[in-house]
Amino acid sequence: MGNLLEIRAVAKNYGPVVALRNANFTVAPGEIHALMGANGAGKSTLVKILTGVISGDAGTVKLNGEEIHFTSPDNARKNGVAPVFQDPALIPDLSLRRNLRLTNTNITKFEEQIAYLGLKINLEELVSRIKLPILRMIDLARALAHDPKLLILDEITAALPANLTEVVIRVMNEEKARGNSVVFISHRLSEIGEICDRVTVLRDGIDVDSFNTSEGDEDRIVSAMLGSKITSDESKNRSVSTGKEPLLAVRGIKDGDKLVDIDFEIYPGEILGVVALEGQGQDSLFDILAGEVSAKAGEIHFSNKKVEFSHPADAIKLGISYVPGDRKTALLPQRSIRENLALTKFRELRSWNWIHQKNEDSLVDKAVSNLEIDTRASSQVKRLSGGNQQKVTIGRWITTGFDLLLCFDPTRGIDVGTKNQIYKLLSGLSAEGKSVLLFTSELREVQLICDRAIVLYNGKVQGVFNAAKADEELLLNAAYGRN
Amino acid sequence: MKISLREQYWNLSILGLVIILTVWRSNQLPVFGSYEIKTIILGIIPIALLAMGQSLIIIGGGINLAIGAEAILINCITAKYSEGSDFALSLRWALIGIVISVIVGAITGWIISQSGIADIVVTLATSFVLIGFALFIQPGPGGGVNLDFAKYFMGGEDSYIAPLLVLFLPILLIWLPLQRSRLGISFYAIGSSKDAAFLSGVNVARTRVSLYAVGGLFAGLCGVSLTAITQAASPFAVISNTATLNSVAAAVLGGVALAGGVGDLFGPALASLVLYYIPTIMLGYGIDPAYSQIIQGALTILVVLVGGLLRARGKR
Repeated sequence: MGNLLEIRAVAKNYGPVVALRNANFTVAPGEIHALMGANGAGKSTLVKILTGVISGDAGTVKLNGEEIHFTSPDNARKNGVAPVFQDPALIPDLSLRRNLRLTNTNITKFEEQIAYLGLKINLEELVSRIKLPILRMIDLARALAHDPKLLILDEITAALPANLTEVVIRVMNEEKARGNSVVFISHRLSEIGEICDRVTVLRDGIDVDSFNTSEGDEDRIVSAMLGSKITSDESKNRSVSTGKEPLLAVRGIKDGDKLVDIDFEIYPGEILGVVALEGQGQDSLFDILAGEVSAKAGEIHFSNKKVEFSHPADAIKLGISYVPGDRKTALLPQRSIRENLALTKFRELRSWNWIHQKNEDSLVDKAVSNLEIDTRASSQVKRLSGGNQQKVTIGRWITTGFDLLLCFDPTRGIDVGTKNQIYKLLSGLSAEGKSVLLFTSELREVQLICDRAIVLYNGKVQGVFNAAKADEELLLNAAYGRN
Repeated sequence: MKISLREQYWNLSILGLVIILTVWRSNQLPVFGSYEIKTIILGIIPIALLAMGQSLIIIGGGINLAIGAEAILINCITAKYSEGSDFALSLRWALIGIVISVIVGAITGWIISQSGIADIVVTLATSFVLIGFALFIQPGPGGGVNLDFAKYFMGGEDSYIAPLLVLFLPILLIWLPLQRSRLGISFYAIGSSKDAAFLSGVNVARTRVSLYAVGGLFAGLCGVSLTAITQAASPFAVISNTATLNSVAAAVLGGVALAGGVGDLFGPALASLVLYYIPTIMLGYGIDPAYSQIIQGALTILVVLVGGLLRARGKR
């Protein structure tokens, strides 16, 4: 029997970034097929190509043996490919009825599907007033109302409570029984073996493994995602001085569904790694510690004192500095390196509100040489390379002084040389007795620069590991909720 | 079709404000009969039509700073070529003017969606271009229109039926059908979330062109009504700029969210009545018109503030 979907040698570049190198992917009729891969492996790009959101640079997509080129999500839907995207694709300011009108969805069929999913909804309700899990289900019902031959579920279970997850699994099995196929993307490894017939694993934009779930287990998926193990002899083994008083202690922090109950501590001079798959509550945790949002419950103790932040300035005053994942939000892109470095220091540089140019100069020059910032494009920070921008964001806090640095994935999209400089910088800070909380999406960084690491899963701390023992396999398993 | 409760609240409170101001105004006048009502309606027709066009564009996530200039351009074209003409020729030029305005709007939308330059920048630039064309066609005040044609806008001696129709027919014949159509829903969709709209199968670029074209339709109607009511053309940038700013103020007062995706055209139409009453009532008291500008500005800020607070509460 022929394949329902056949993707051959698909490639996609975003400028210099290669999202898909050479991806092959086939789905047979009546099959539930899992698409797996670590963050940045190319899953979402592949899904976008096969739903017509973007088009690939090379390669072919065949549906029922015929080569096809989807021009838009609407076009894909008409050809029997119905996606449920990671972010609900419903217009917030429109009622459900008008949303369905927009996608030319048959209202009666949609209502049948809603009843079949066991939901009750009011079609006149504004989408912005509907809760996220229900929106995902509505999105699913809408996709089903189009009688798809191929249903694509991108991380649908991530936002769903257990009872709704069961409903989704039931739907997938019914679709399979009807001879339709499902592409299922999930971060929950345990779901894969149970539900899926086949698995394809992507790594660095290439399909590295594809097998029937009867032939391999979760370990095979994990090792395919990791690839050849990197044995690192650069890993440092500093003794963790956990005997001392912790600098920061987080006790039972909650933030709605995102953080369920978080407990951990950082000791002076420690680099604590945070590892998590996407959407496990790490963004929320960093926002709370930086004082951008308040926790719904729980306590933060800093230097043995209970603290509460109502504004990032409160956290900064205490000595907690935040280097966010998106460099653009941290810098003033049109201003010079000088101004960006001195920005957090203006309070001390001025007298009678005049900035002391001399003091500023010396301060900035010191930082620039310490950080080895390439100053050829110094007049506007936006013209610096990503790595140099990152150094400026960290550097400004070094000029200000702090006790705890919150770093969110500081080395994402940065070349190897600059990465090493940032590692050196962070290690140097820790040698001076400063602490760093480092979220990283590159698992090997844990052994490279961290003392300990915590792994978040579903808004909870899944495990605390000594960095010396925390190899990538251990961390990844924990990140997938396996111990 | 149901309108959400909050939008109705907004329209009802604006309606309440309009009624209060109408009573106030009627008490200022010795007589308040059909002639006075006609004067009021004729006074608001151009700004109401412009406000509707602007509101539509803002709902679709854009803004058109050239909408006043579009109207003035059509005013100049129709007034110049209809001067001393018979009814049929005046009508023909009115239709040509409206078509030109739709095309100008479509081109504006096309430039915006193809270039990726912000709406506010493109339309600021086109406003200069359009006023330039208007001056080219009609270098100074002048022009005219067939009086029988004008009567369809002005109505008879004491009858306000014709102007009332001019005010409400665009809502009934353009807006109501549009609001129910897929195109109208697409306007809300691209104003609310471009990404979600794209994923829902909306062609964002094409919808943006249609959005500005329909905005141009309203601007064209405004230009033609200006010609019919004033029986002349007035090619002044000051008029077009004030008209544009008033159209934005009426949209905001009328409950259209500047962020896009929220609002309708009834509220802005009513709000243009409020904008008309403020200076008129104050002038009735012999107060310096400059004060009415201040009050109008303060009212707009107040409304945006209250609207923002309501929205913040709604989100919680």
